[in-house]
Amino acid sequence: MAAVMAIAENLRGPAVGRPSAADARRYWLQAKRSQLTPYLFIAPNMALFSVFVFFPLLYAFYISLREWSLIDTPRYIGLENYARLASDTLFWQSLSNTAVYSIATVPMSLAIGLVLALALNRDLYGRTILRSVFFLPVVISNVATAVIAAWLFNDNYGVINALLQQVGIGPVAWLSSPRWALFSLVVTSLWVRIGFCMVVYLAALQSISPTYYDAAQMDGASRWQQFRFVTWPLLRPATFLLLILGVIHSFQVFDLIYVMTGGGPGFSTTMIVQYIYQAAFVGSEMGYASAMGMVLFVMILIFTLLQWRVNRRVEDVA
Amino acid sequence: MATITKRSFLKTSLCAGIGAGVGMYWGAANAQKAASLTMTSWGSPAEIAAFNAQIERYKARNPNVAIKLEVVPSGQYYQQLDTRFAGKQAPDIFRAQYQRIGRYGQSGAAIDLSQYLDAGFGQDFLPSVWRASTIKGKPHALPHHTDTFALFYNAEIFEACGIEAPKSLDKSWTWQEFIGAAKLAKEKAGLNYAFAMNWQNSNAYRWLMYLYQHGGQLLDNELKGPQINTKEAAETVAWTQSWFKDGLVPPNTSLKSSEPVQNLFATGKIAMLLHGDWQIPFIQEQARFKWGVTYLPRDVAMAADLGGNALAVSRDSKSPDVAADFVKFMVAEEAMREFVTKAQFLPVRKSLKEKGLVYDIRNEEMKVFLEQSATVPEHLVSTIVLPTWDRFNAKLADELELAFTSGQSPTATVANIEKHVRSTLLV
Amino acid sequence: MIAGTSRSALSGRLETTSIWLLLVAGAGVMFFPVYWMFATAVRPKDEVFSGAAGLIPSSFVWQNFADAIGRVPFLSWTANSLIITVFAVVITVTINLLCGYAFAKFRFAGRDILFLAVLSALMIPFQVIIVPLFLVVSELGLLSDYWGVILPRAAEAFGIFMVRQFMVSIPDELLEAARIDGASELKIFFKIVVPLSKPIIAVLVIFTFMWRWNDFALPLIVMMKHEMYTVQLGLNLLRGQFNTEWSMIMAIALLSLVPMLIIFTFFQRYFVQGISGSGLK
Repeated sequence: MAAVMAIAENLRGPAVGRPSAADARRYWLQAKRSQLTPYLFIAPNMALFSVFVFFPLLYAFYISLREWSLIDTPRYIGLENYARLASDTLFWQSLSNTAVYSIATVPMSLAIGLVLALALNRDLYGRTILRSVFFLPVVISNVATAVIAAWLFNDNYGVINALLQQVGIGPVAWLSSPRWALFSLVVTSLWVRIGFCMVVYLAALQSISPTYYDAAQMDGASRWQQFRFVTWPLLRPATFLLLILGVIHSFQVFDLIYVMTGGGPGFSTTMIVQYIYQAAFVGSEMGYASAMGMVLFVMILIFTLLQWRVNRRVEDVA
Repeated sequence: MATITKRSFLKTSLCAGIGAGVGMYWGAANAQKAASLTMTSWGSPAEIAAFNAQIERYKARNPNVAIKLEVVPSGQYYQQLDTRFAGKQAPDIFRAQYQRIGRYGQSGAAIDLSQYLDAGFGQDFLPSVWRASTIKGKPHALPHHTDTFALFYNAEIFEACGIEAPKSLDKSWTWQEFIGAAKLAKEKAGLNYAFAMNWQNSNAYRWLMYLYQHGGQLLDNELKGPQINTKEAAETVAWTQSWFKDGLVPPNTSLKSSEPVQNLFATGKIAMLLHGDWQIPFIQEQARFKWGVTYLPRDVAMAADLGGNALAVSRDSKSPDVAADFVKFMVAEEAMREFVTKAQFLPVRKSLKEKGLVYDIRNEEMKVFLEQSATVPEHLVSTIVLPTWDRFNAKLADELELAFTSGQSPTATVANIEKHVRSTLLV
Repeated sequence: MIAGTSRSALSGRLETTSIWLLLVAGAGVMFFPVYWMFATAVRPKDEVFSGAAGLIPSSFVWQNFADAIGRVPFLSWTANSLIITVFAVVITVTINLLCGYAFAKFRFAGRDILFLAVLSALMIPFQVIIVPLFLVVSELGLLSDYWGVILPRAAEAFGIFMVRQFMVSIPDELLEAARIDGASELKIFFKIVVPLSKPIIAVLVIFTFMWRWNDFALPLIVMMKHEMYTVQLGLNLLRGQFNTEWSMIMAIALLSLVPMLIIFTFFQRYFVQGISGSGLK
């Protein structure tokens, strides 16, 4: 409280009455210092970002204007790589595959995460252990996840097929039929993602004040109404954040698919980042790969900014 | 501390002594000047062990030279190599498939080795692989070994089903006989699938051997235009496609799969395996049943495919002369014999072929591979060593994959391959 | 009335029980892959390839773990991973706290645009900048060097974002009061801001540890020498080289999780609290 009073006084200080010369000088120095401080505080991060993120990004743009196989001398070709994109059907197919993958994973992971969070927010026996188990896959590396998933889903020795065969089904070509490959990838991604969604929702649920529910109950609101009019609106920021992170994540998915299906069968699980990788390192077209990368980056950026705007508008209305 | 220093000093001088002795004994190149080299390769445990054994021998003869072998998983090998070239950090020596030498040589990434070689150096090498390693008459890599495909079979399953494997090249199965045996094995032995083929992991070009067996080819005789949009080619696609349609091969053994097909064979899930000679050590170690190797099936002709690798010196090497000397050592008769007999490859020196080799394991089976390797069509070799092959290979894989897994028709497949030949291979 | 209450209490208990049972079943499904890693790792080697061999290994061959560690330089991989991770955690947490604090509590020219720039770093697919990044790391002479893996990832956009959201809720009055007392900005940061930020620090530690421990694409191109390999690179190498040795691969994969689990258990009680204080709510 004393501090607040002091601030109030301080705020009044220079404006009202005549400060002493020493006070004025101290005020000036402090003002000047605090001008510089934030820049100093962000400097280490910004320096690292500049060297290891922004400069490589600019460099990638520079490469995107060139023809380069990585082992020869780059040759400037202007916007040719970008022009080529429009007619590259595989680029658009992998983009649409990625969109399908995002639509299949993001809403589902949010929904399951939310249901788990609601359930585990109750007072249940062994709650901490249950939470930990659901969160466990989040901490497992992509390499390890891919190793386990490829092993479980393996057509020939996988335990899933072995179990199915015991009840007289299968074997199912989990990773090599166009029908099931994407499904297997989505299931694996959900396994990884729902724990994160659950934790974020749990945190959000815990910061909702119980007084909201008291008020709703006084008014005789059903539990569905409580969820619909209290919980869900108050979870909006969490939902919004998970949505954005989920989309960014699924547009950048790579390791998992590279190991599990290699983009096949056919092109049915070829995602955009893998297509870029292939163009760069298999097709030896680094310039073209960089051009696709720049386009992908701008797409993600625009999507995020649009989401942000929409979210703002909804919040303003609310 | 002191004792360790003393001991390691003793060790070094002992090694140097032995090295000098061996060097004198072999009477070959003088000990090289001091250099520290790196070499990259992928490979099975047997290959890596064989490489390291030769590196040790070289070091013993040249105590001033340190060579370190960096093993990279085959899936990431070329990505890492190219990235290192982009950053001017490539290893001194690298291993590459014959069909990639053109690309590395043409861009200067693999240096011209002429100045380190005596005139006539190439004469003892098989013409096909020597040609694959030279660009405009200049060697940019030295052929190290070759490999080819044959048919591994589970002898116990064969016996139980009454199937007899062909005993000689001229008695090799026709396509129909091969499929008949596969169907019989699948049915009688109660297997889910009969066999599998190793064309995964950028091995798409191995499909070409079937094309040549059926009388087709990818390019015309002058290598100037495509010749793939033909009846023969479409029939070859249809035939290989039928393996998948008829459930003879596991669906996850198409081109983009990461399933190591040798596991399927070694664990008894399939009765036959179309794979290369270098799988022998693995199968020898893993298989708990009697197995053998027989010849590839044939159609109107017999054809095997050419695989194998050369060793190249990179433009980033600080000591290209020492690196070149090491590569020469590796492809010399003695080291080549050691390497191929340990890692189960085929030699690329005529002299070694003539003298005959005794392989560490499964000498009889290796003879099948040796015989089979004589059936590699020259035209096939000329095709796959075009400098643009690498890029085209990925497109070929795409189209075959679509045919095998996604129902793309054989005619559409060959038409698409023809398009890729024009746009990426012949440019 | 009384009957009604007891009936609703009963149905409440029934509901809780059925939810609990569903959760346990779900947890079983979630845990199964990890269990299967374990089961594959300790099985007798002959059983590995027959998927029908049964859910529980016929016998537990603990020797498989010892064999796996004996055959590959797992300890050296672990040491490399630990060195990288520990340094990275210290650096990232420190500079992200400073940076997030500045974005949360100072007004300065260009703040919003800089913050947007930070966020945009999240949206760059790594595969797109991998070659330029390799060139930078190589120019700086950091190839096959711990710093070559630590520095490029030390600034974490997501971390800065979380810290900023958390610190917005620190009352300005506290900071102003300290300023009036003549405290230096650094002192304010360390004496007031950091102690208030324990939960978010815990979250940052867990996440940074997880990210760096699990990093794959960057170490793959930077660490060219085998003696510099991390656990993930080693695991990848095993997957590529010894593709039938599933019990060994699974044993190593399982062991690679252990440090993560320790960290998570250790910091877990702060975890939900920290996330709930940050913008992730």
